Amino acid sequence: MLKRLRLFFSDNRFAKRRAFLRSLSFCKGLSNRELGYLLQSFHSRTYNEGEVLFAEEDIGRALFVVETGKIELTKTGHGGKVQQIATLEPGMFFGEMALLEQMPRSASAVAAQTSKVLLLYRSKLDSILHYHPRIGVSIMTHLAKLLSARLRKTSYDLTRALSKN
Amino acid sequence: MARKPPTPPIWAYVVAAGLIYFAYTIHDVLVPFILSFALAYLLNPVINYFEVRGFRREQIVLAMYLVVTVIVTLSANLLIPAVTGEIRLLKEKIPVYFTSLEKAAGALQHHVAMRMPIGQEYLDQMSFKLYDPITKQLPKLPTYVLGLFPLFSMLFLVPFITFFILMDSKNVLQNIIQVCPSRYVEQALHVVSEIDTALGNYIRGILIIAGIIAMASYVGLKFLAVDYALAVAALSGIASFIPYFGALLGMVVGAVVAFFQYYDYAVPLQVIVLFLLIRLADEALVQPVVARRSVHLHPMLFLGSMMVGGKLFGFIGLLFAVPSACVIKALIGVAWDWYISEAQIGPPNSVEGAHIPFT
Repeated sequence: MLKRLRLFFSDNRFAKRRAFLRSLSFCKGLSNRELGYLLQSFHSRTYNEGEVLFAEEDIGRALFVVETGKIELTKTGHGGKVQQIATLEPGMFFGEMALLEQMPRSASAVAAQTSKVLLLYRSKLDSILHYHPRIGVSIMTHLAKLLSARLRKTSYDLTRALSKN
Repeated sequence: MARKPPTPPIWAYVVAAGLIYFAYTIHDVLVPFILSFALAYLLNPVINYFEVRGFRREQIVLAMYLVVTVIVTLSANLLIPAVTGEIRLLKEKIPVYFTSLEKAAGALQHHVAMRMPIGQEYLDQMSFKLYDPITKQLPKLPTYVLGLFPLFSMLFLVPFITFFILMDSKNVLQNIIQVCPSRYVEQALHVVSEIDTALGNYIRGILIIAGIIAMASYVGLKFLAVDYALAVAALSGIASFIPYFGALLGMVVGAVVAFFQYYDYAVPLQVIVLFLLIRLADEALVQPVVARRSVHLHPMLFLGSMMVGGKLFGFIGLLFAVPSACVIKALIGVAWDWYISEAQIGPPNSVEGAHIPFT
């Protein structure tokens, strides 16, 4: 009886999306309830093939997580030539620097195919940090590690380039 | 380097102005919808509480309505005798009140006639001027009572509309984001998020404050054995939706009721002290906890918004002046934030220690 009642009240779509969030690197170690709170802070939007999520130099204000489909990141190089720098698959996220500072985006994001994307807006993250610090700390710690790893890679690449010259 | 911020197209301003004018012309019709939105804001945290635990929104809303119906039915059994008791008391005492009012007016008239060198004829004229508006308004009393019926219809209409808002609000927001041009989704989220925060905190805060003031008034008036405690407390609670007005109205009505009940100044004075204490406790204990997350309005802005709201929309304007001002303030904040970030005219985004090499 209780099981039936529970089944009647439970939201399968919500459970699936929560399972998806659990697979993300910055959500590791969060409880079901915390994932529920985080999921409530996300907005989702479907982008058609070729639709621009944001353009280079736009001011960033949100983090994007690819739920389904593919997103291409492109950057305008010297002489205005557009270069593809990454293709993002489901479970990958981008635009995370916008959560830390409102600076122009360093690349453009375009939907390579019809894609469903989750968006976490800056003020929602602020709200999470205030009311659910454990979730906020998990996200921020992951972002800090990510930044550190990228900085190490940049330093390594720079040293290699300098030694070649 | 500063860059030129993007400006919205001219049609956006025309559409916005058209919508505001349209809302103004049909503001009477909008009242139940606005009240429903307020109620939905109050109930939404309860639904969210269950939603994050994996329950379906539709089922939670249905279950909540069921529970509220049961609670209302049960509490009606307690409330109806109290309300009918107060109405019966009022019916019995109205002739007594009128007689004592007449006596008091007569005594005052006599008192003035004894002390002031003016003729009886002039005093009669004055009394006629005093009573004339009352005698003119008395035949219209049934019309006024009938005028309250739309208010009762709200008791059914508002929960009905709220039900659909609670059911579909997420889908509506989702659809707005979906139809928004892709490059403006982040800005749309910014606006939605700011309005949601400003309105949600204000409405939840004011509803809690109104409830506390109504309860404290009821307990206090019962303690002082003042008649119509329930009616005065309800009036005080409802009036609390207009900031600072609840305790003031409760104080005036409560003191008048106490005066006609006891015919002395001691109890009305105690009622005045009671409402002053309620007001102080509200300011010192309740407001700092409940309203700390609300948008802070400068007193001048607060007063200005109340005056404009009252002038444009009457009593309903007074109710919604402050939340509207909060939304306008939040929107101006969003616009300013966009402007400084798009034009990059804010202070340089430098982090202390950025020059130290990575180790």
